[in-house]
Amino acid sequence: MKEIEPSTNEREFVLAALKDGARIDGRNSYDFRTLRLSFGSDYGAVEVQLGNTRVLAKVSCEVIRPFTDKPTEGFLVFNTEMSPMASSTFEVGRQTDEEVLVSRLIEKAMKRSRALDTEGLCIVAGEKVWSIRVDIHFLDHDGNLVDAACIAAITALMHFRRPDVTVVGEDVTIHTLEQRNPVPLSIHHIPICVTFAFFHHGEHMIVDPTYLEEQIKQGDMTITLNVHKEVCALSKAGGLPMKMDQILQSTKIAVVKVTEITAQIQAALEADAKKRQTSRK
Amino acid sequence: MSRPDRSRTSAHQLRPFFSSQNLLNRADGSAQFDFGGSSVMCSVVGPAEVRIRDEKLDRATIEVVARPLVGIPSIKEKAREQNIRETLEPLILSGLHPRTGIQIVVQTMKDDGCILSTAFNATIMALMDAGIPLKSILGSVTCMVDEKTNQIWLDPTTEELAQAKSAHVFVFDNKSSITSASAGAQGKDADVDMDQDTVGAAILFSDSTGLFTEEQYFECAQICFKAAQAIHGFIRTAIAKKLEKEYQQTHA
Repeated sequence: MKEIEPSTNEREFVLAALKDGARIDGRNSYDFRTLRLSFGSDYGAVEVQLGNTRVLAKVSCEVIRPFTDKPTEGFLVFNTEMSPMASSTFEVGRQTDEEVLVSRLIEKAMKRSRALDTEGLCIVAGEKVWSIRVDIHFLDHDGNLVDAACIAAITALMHFRRPDVTVVGEDVTIHTLEQRNPVPLSIHHIPICVTFAFFHHGEHMIVDPTYLEEQIKQGDMTITLNVHKEVCALSKAGGLPMKMDQILQSTKIAVVKVTEITAQIQAALEADAKKRQTSRK
Repeated sequence: MSRPDRSRTSAHQLRPFFSSQNLLNRADGSAQFDFGGSSVMCSVVGPAEVRIRDEKLDRATIEVVARPLVGIPSIKEKAREQNIRETLEPLILSGLHPRTGIQIVVQTMKDDGCILSTAFNATIMALMDAGIPLKSILGSVTCMVDEKTNQIWLDPTTEELAQAKSAHVFVFDNKSSITSASAGAQGKDADVDMDQDTVGAAILFSDSTGLFTEEQYFECAQICFKAAQAIHGFIRTAIAKKLEKEYQQTHA
């Protein structure tokens, strides 16, 4: 189904409000929407709600043979196919431009920033390695899919436990979850995406745009950072020309946001771990 | 005699089920249905614009998209899509909305067996949430026959399904349950009552895999029919509660 453009009235209202430094949902320019994280009963399943945007990430693993030129490297695979559940503008079996951009951005943020130690996924060099698969399901689209998906993916990877293995000579035994405690993945750092949208030729900048704001924006930029203040990825695909100091300013805002989000992710993971421990007793 | 799922004491016991409606803001209607550790989210968009080549002159086109939890959609999901579409097509009063499309998306959220049944129940609740006119509602339950003991276990988990000789998915509509309930009230003794139960039960959909005898099949159908009454009752209460809430909000 075709995307419905916002009406002129809506557009002008949003733009006029932004001029006064106000947003239609009552947020300040640099506020994120409420972030909610909920974990499934099994390891590696996380549902993220960023305002009305809803994303489900599910991590799974299997043992496969590595590439011959990289015998000790495990695999990290992302699946970010969008279903019409998120928005009826997404069609089955046909990728929209937006979809390709979002998928690339997530892959860049997570995979190319080397957040996951892929060497640690090796079982027997040249023979067996773990392949970690992250399925990202977009359930509801109310803007800023990238940030929500990124939070979902990294939280799911941190929550995930893979089965323990023992190697004796040539024999490899994979222990079931009941036999031995499963082991967490080794994660180097937590990359978090922060998306900015620009209006009025770059005069106004906001964080975490909603769907309506995304439709009206003139340009956008996504910065991926971790708590160590390291920039993992920066994506600004066209849109508006920007001043150098504006990029620096947005990076400073992003650092604050990343610290907040990382703290929330860690708190949520700890709370879940505690809950699991008490339910096991 | 006990079953692998230790949280349940009886072979004919359903896992605790749970549902929530109107979760998504972009879809016209949505619902999530849980059967213990299994959960399915369903969204409905429609009646809306439809592609010209799918347009039907006298009724709405119904499209079902099923999505797996892990991996890309395969034959299994295609089969699920077809099962759901063909069961729902006679139920939806599509003649009221000619030349439109109704799109149903079924997403598995957690998988612990009986996904097809969970999907059916989620779909019907999402359709009602979207306000799509329906002839009747449906309720779905799965059961299996254990390989060793030949016992019939209702609503099996993945662990239990691994040792199934046969598995059966049933869908019943709530019209037949009304007739059988009235028939049951008129029935004089328990045996007659039982017979009329099966007579009154119109099976909307039945899917069986594995080896089973005729008696086993009918026994499964009867057990599932009884369990489906609980589902129907649950759906009725859930909808009533939701409408009550909506009424209070609009008239406050």
